[in-house]
Amino acid sequence: MIYLDHAAATPVSQKALQVMTPYFAEEFFNPSAPYLPAKRVREVYELAKDDLAHVIGAKGVDLVITAGATESINLAFTVCQGKVLVLETEHAAVLEVAKQCSYELVKVDKNGLILIDDLRDKLSDEVELVSISLANNELGTIQPLVEIAEVIRRVRQERLRNNNNTPLYLHSDASQALNLLDLNVARLGVDLLTINAAKCGGPKGVGALYVAHGVKLRPISVGGGQERGLRSGTENVAGVVGFATAAQEAKAHLAGSRKKYQVMSRILRQELEKIGKDMNSTTDFVMPTPIFLGHPKHQLASFVPVCFPGVDAERLIYRLEQHGVLVSTGAACAANKGNKSHVLAAIGLSDVEIAGSLRISLGSANTIENVTEAASIIREEVEREYCRIHERGHHV
Amino acid sequence: MSRVFLGMSGGVDSSVSAVLLKEQGYDVTGVYMKNWSKDLPGMKCPWSEDLADAKRVAVQLDLDFEVWDFESEYKQKVVDYMLAEFQRGRTPNPDVICNELIKFKQFYDRAMQRGADYIATGHYARVSSGSELNLPDNNIYLCRAVDENKDQTYFLYRMSDMATAKTLFPVGNMTKPEVKDLAAEKGLDVARKKESMGVCFVGEVGMKDFLREYLDARPGEIREAETEKVLGYHDGVIFYTIGQRHGLALGGGLPYYVVGKDLAQNLVYVSKNLNHEDLWKKQLKLEDMCWRAGSESLLKQGELTVRLRHRAPLLKAQLENDTLVFDEEIKKPAAGQSAVLYSGGVCLGGGIIAE
Repeated sequence: MIYLDHAAATPVSQKALQVMTPYFAEEFFNPSAPYLPAKRVREVYELAKDDLAHVIGAKGVDLVITAGATESINLAFTVCQGKVLVLETEHAAVLEVAKQCSYELVKVDKNGLILIDDLRDKLSDEVELVSISLANNELGTIQPLVEIAEVIRRVRQERLRNNNNTPLYLHSDASQALNLLDLNVARLGVDLLTINAAKCGGPKGVGALYVAHGVKLRPISVGGGQERGLRSGTENVAGVVGFATAAQEAKAHLAGSRKKYQVMSRILRQELEKIGKDMNSTTDFVMPTPIFLGHPKHQLASFVPVCFPGVDAERLIYRLEQHGVLVSTGAACAANKGNKSHVLAAIGLSDVEIAGSLRISLGSANTIENVTEAASIIREEVEREYCRIHERGHHV
Repeated sequence: MSRVFLGMSGGVDSSVSAVLLKEQGYDVTGVYMKNWSKDLPGMKCPWSEDLADAKRVAVQLDLDFEVWDFESEYKQKVVDYMLAEFQRGRTPNPDVICNELIKFKQFYDRAMQRGADYIATGHYARVSSGSELNLPDNNIYLCRAVDENKDQTYFLYRMSDMATAKTLFPVGNMTKPEVKDLAAEKGLDVARKKESMGVCFVGEVGMKDFLREYLDARPGEIREAETEKVLGYHDGVIFYTIGQRHGLALGGGLPYYVVGKDLAQNLVYVSKNLNHEDLWKKQLKLEDMCWRAGSESLLKQGELTVRLRHRAPLLKAQLENDTLVFDEEIKKPAAGQSAVLYSGGVCLGGGIIAE
């Protein structure tokens, strides 16, 4: 099996798995219980939260642990009662929450990069929250968050000068970015940041929301008052310990990972670029050349989103699956619902191009060898599909 | 090479049908029929997964695959019919109508327009010509499947003669275990799939929750048929079927059976008497009769048998005008269900059971 869908889920790292294990059946105590063994578990939990927070340049008390990124985003949006601005290419978790408020979409260019001027234009006086993901989950395009934060800072100043008290917050969903970018909340200038264990070698069902000082949220679930009253429920000790370990590991290997994925990405791109070149001498038709999607420079190194115009990417997925190569189209959730990708539509792809797009995402399961092998399998299968379509075209 | 459009649902039967048709040398295009579904919270029809399963099998077999959208036709012809019937206090069978008006009408028409020689589905049934049955005619007959336990002609009796003549049922000669074994042998993932039950668009939540979204249902009294005594309360007359004994919440002791419904007064009548006269019938009046080609002469010659539910035993009966007369009293089926008539293994047609 060659796994090429790390943007959907990452395997839990051996180290994370190891550190989590004792907290299921041995150190299983409720961190809020009064006896000493429980108190130790409480200490472990708080330390893990600190470790996790340090990875993004924050403190443990700044984090609210949630059951994944979706809940973290839902919680972040409780900051505002007024209007929100979100990028049109955001994940459904952001778009669907935004739809519960008064909202407007900020446009992107053909590479999926935010149009800063569009953001400026839409930042009217009633906007209270801007939510822009750090890296897009289908394209890997990295948004200039520092620049966006600066725009926001100026609007805040402007409002104060005009004696306008309406607050303005910046939230970012960094789910995809944690294992590839060096995150620092202060440098990014965000008030709220969503991170996710399942995309960086941690367990599923664990996420966190960084909340800057002075930012007031409303809890979505109430009860025992855990997480400073913002997220009640017995703490997921094993999950947080695993998350912290995975995040630290990712951070320690950032430079190495990036280089590794750049090499692998090049192997894939070079092999796929051969489509329509090698075979055109032997076939009597011209195969379209693949289109690589996302920003050529500002893109997560692990992302290789690619469009094979005219091919049915779903068909390709099932063919590749038979060779043990696992890839997907766009977001796993969207693909399952049979809807076409709103992200690919936003960057101006036609329906045919959207239907022909694959999202290849690299990660810890990959080696130079298995990526090289997968690259040639994908090329062969795409060429096979083009031949099949060509033959059927004559036949029908 | 004959061209076949095969309805693929993502289940094991239509998947194995694809395998068989391909082996028999047909030029097969797999088609997933997208029917109407309603996404209510907690109420998801699993169609996207079924579509993916169907497509995976088609790709595995290297077949062309298409999705045909029949959502609006299905909503109009099947769902609306079903809701109207329930509102009248009847218990309709939407699968029968779906086969008649969608699969063997809309799907058939569209396939023929596309140049099909045949259509095919994964139903357990057979199609035979008069000569194959040693009959002195050229009619095309709908016949029961080899696997009597899985036979689906109960749901197919209303499909047109025209469509029948152009339909292949590749698994009609196999038993269900054989079909499952073949799927496993061919490495099809759907071999492991749980059999789908019930009406597809309702999904796993069940008919009652579905109906509640669409129909008026007012709470009312449950009365004892013999005494008019109020025994309890119901949440809507339309949710109850004659003969039903579960879900009445009337407490312990001997079970009560629903023996009557009064839609106008919003009352459900129950009885402890399993022999209550309203539970048993010797005669059943049918409406919306549908007669298949050649049934008239077969009806004269052979013994008539009737099936009142899918997989129910075949009962001997006589037909007098539109009324079935049984040799002995039968447990009364719900109005709106179908009575399907057979002569030997041949399906003659059938009708909808009236009050």
